[in-house]
Amino acid sequence: MADGSERDDLPQATVVPKKRTRVSTVWVIPILAAVVAVGIAVQRVLSEGPTVTIVFKNAQGIEAGKTVVKYKDVSIGQVAAVQLSNDYSSVKVTAKIAKSAAGLMVEDAKFWVVEPRITLSGVSGLGTLLSGNYIGFEAGKSASSEDSFSGLEVPPIITDQPGRQFVLKADNLGSLGIGSPVYYRRLPAGQVVAYALAKDGQAVEIRIFVNAPYDSYVNAGTRFWNASGFDLSVSADGLDVQTQSMVALIAGGLAFETPPFSPAAEPAAADAEFILHGDQVTAMKQPEPMARRYVLNFDESLRGLSVGAPVTLLGLPGGEVTSVGLDVDPKTQRLRGRVEFVVYPERLVAQMHDPEQVRGEMLARVSARREAFFERMVEDFGLRAQIQSGNLLTGQRYVSFDFHPDAPKAKVDWSKDKAVVPAIPSTLPNFEAKIGSILEKLDKLPYEALGADTRKVLATLNQTLKDAGQAVKRFDSDVTPDLKKALEEISRATASADRLIKNTDKGLLAPDSPGQQDLREAMREVARAARSLRVLTDYLERHPEALLRGKN
Amino acid sequence: MSGAVVTGARAGLVSCETCKLLTRPVNAEHAGHCPRCGATLEVRRVQSLQRTWALIIAAAICYIPANLLPVMVSNTFATSDAETIMGGVVYLYSSGSWPLALIVLVASVMVPLGKLLALGYLLVSVQRGMAGSHHERARLFRIVVFIGRWSMLDVFVATFTVALVQLQPLMSVLPGAGVLFFAAVVVLTMLAAETFDPRLLWDSATDMEKQDG
Repeated sequence: MADGSERDDLPQATVVPKKRTRVSTVWVIPILAAVVAVGIAVQRVLSEGPTVTIVFKNAQGIEAGKTVVKYKDVSIGQVAAVQLSNDYSSVKVTAKIAKSAAGLMVEDAKFWVVEPRITLSGVSGLGTLLSGNYIGFEAGKSASSEDSFSGLEVPPIITDQPGRQFVLKADNLGSLGIGSPVYYRRLPAGQVVAYALAKDGQAVEIRIFVNAPYDSYVNAGTRFWNASGFDLSVSADGLDVQTQSMVALIAGGLAFETPPFSPAAEPAAADAEFILHGDQVTAMKQPEPMARRYVLNFDESLRGLSVGAPVTLLGLPGGEVTSVGLDVDPKTQRLRGRVEFVVYPERLVAQMHDPEQVRGEMLARVSARREAFFERMVEDFGLRAQIQSGNLLTGQRYVSFDFHPDAPKAKVDWSKDKAVVPAIPSTLPNFEAKIGSILEKLDKLPYEALGADTRKVLATLNQTLKDAGQAVKRFDSDVTPDLKKALEEISRATASADRLIKNTDKGLLAPDSPGQQDLREAMREVARAARSLRVLTDYLERHPEALLRGKN
Repeated sequence: MSGAVVTGARAGLVSCETCKLLTRPVNAEHAGHCPRCGATLEVRRVQSLQRTWALIIAAAICYIPANLLPVMVSNTFATSDAETIMGGVVYLYSSGSWPLALIVLVASVMVPLGKLLALGYLLVSVQRGMAGSHHERARLFRIVVFIGRWSMLDVFVATFTVALVQLQPLMSVLPGAGVLFFAAVVVLTMLAAETFDPRLLWDSATDMEKQDG
């Protein structure tokens, strides 16, 4: 300061009083930064959802920090780490779940890897082709929370759509698979969602999901059948091909329907069990409480008659063959064919005309009266069984009941457990007999008498020919000279006509004939006229005004 | 530099920091204003150490989220990638371009950290009245000031990328919160370098010389 006072020539600074705080206000900045940083950290911690681990068989397409967990297509978390399990047999995926979805992490929640799936019945997960695989999530119903899950290998059935699941028991899976369609009146009504072998190993349990409103048509009486592929059956009715749809043809499928005869019932409860029938015919088969079994004995070939072949009454189906075998006739100790068949009286009754139906039903109900009725048909009217050819191409045959009044008298044998019904040989063996009788008749023809008659006819013919020869000779001698004269006349006339034509030729067409010269001159004149006409038109073309003004 | 160097402070004079006019201060506590340009006169910048400390601490606080929070969020179809600075370095290194990784590591991680450490060292040395190595410390300070203006490069690149890569349905890049903190670190360290009074470095030197003399 001593130096400063010496230099008076330097200007004196002005004083501006200023209050100064000890602590600088700049400390606000680090405090602010700290508050912001701590705020972000606190917010991070608070927004942190639960961390769950999911165990998968493999981690195809799952990447730490990239793969997301999606529920209803909304991202609810992200995979944080992908590690192998301790025994290297599976993959442990650690995922951070958003806090908003923390409540969804319950015991029965499901996780699975969503990847593009192309099955015969549809394409799913196409979005993952672009975005990569993600982990699908399905909420559970449990209340207890959980943080470790085992991932599903196949996507679960999305059950948030209305509908119900049912269980079908089948002998085998057939060509069904997960996703195979379920049809109701050929409308896609649901799908197969799972299948498993039954606990006893004797059946397959197929779990299906039927969408609302179709599920309300499933009741206790509903029949399910396998509509897989196409069903080709060769029977006495011919070739029968049945299929539900193209998809079912390729991917297999199921169908259900409630038969009209089943009593109206409440819709079946979820998870109700049903039997899966092999095809629609067996599925829709009416229960036949009054079915009776009968036996037929035949002394002919049973070739072409198979189990299941129809038994008809006057051509209407009324039953079917249940077994075809052999038997020994107790009287003659001779081998014979034995055909067992079942008759469904209900079917026959159902085909009766309305007023008769009541009576028919009565008849069918009372066993004794029915038997009496049947006996009367057999004994008085000649109702007989007969094997007939159903289809000439396939050779299938069936049992036909028809009235044969001229058949030998027979009775129904009620003594056995299964009544034996009289039968007559089929018409096909009769065929041979008929041909035989035709041959017999041919044998009996009077060939010698026929030969004598033929000879007589030939002699008469000879005489006639001789008469014709004489007639020709007479014509020769009487008519021919006149004919000659007439021909000469004609020849002469022709010659004079010829001469006349030649003269005309000379007069008109010879090179020096006057006609020719006149013609030539005339032609020349015409040529000249044409030339002057051309000159005129040429002139007129050049001078069209000449038409008005004249040629100058 | 033999003998006593006449410094402004020792002579009781103040140089205006703006127009460099040498003036006599009003009194020791209040130097007053420059009569020529009107700027506040200070023998040493007021509370230089305190302010620099505050700014460095603020920068250090911001340095943590700058490295932990994502700098850029790139969205493609359905994936969303949030990359932090270190994540980017690791990605670049693992994808084989280690020179780029090194550049990013040096420019974005080491330089801000180095600035913070350098300023902290300078402050501590001044507060402790550390003698010696004045020239080295002065050079360090000059380097810190020089580097400061280049440190915004990261922020610049990030903002450019965000502005350019907006191919909406295909790909888009959004800025992350990390880039804000990174920018704060850069600005705060620049301000800290600005508030640090390099004259303080030489006070101990002149003191020492005075003691010697």
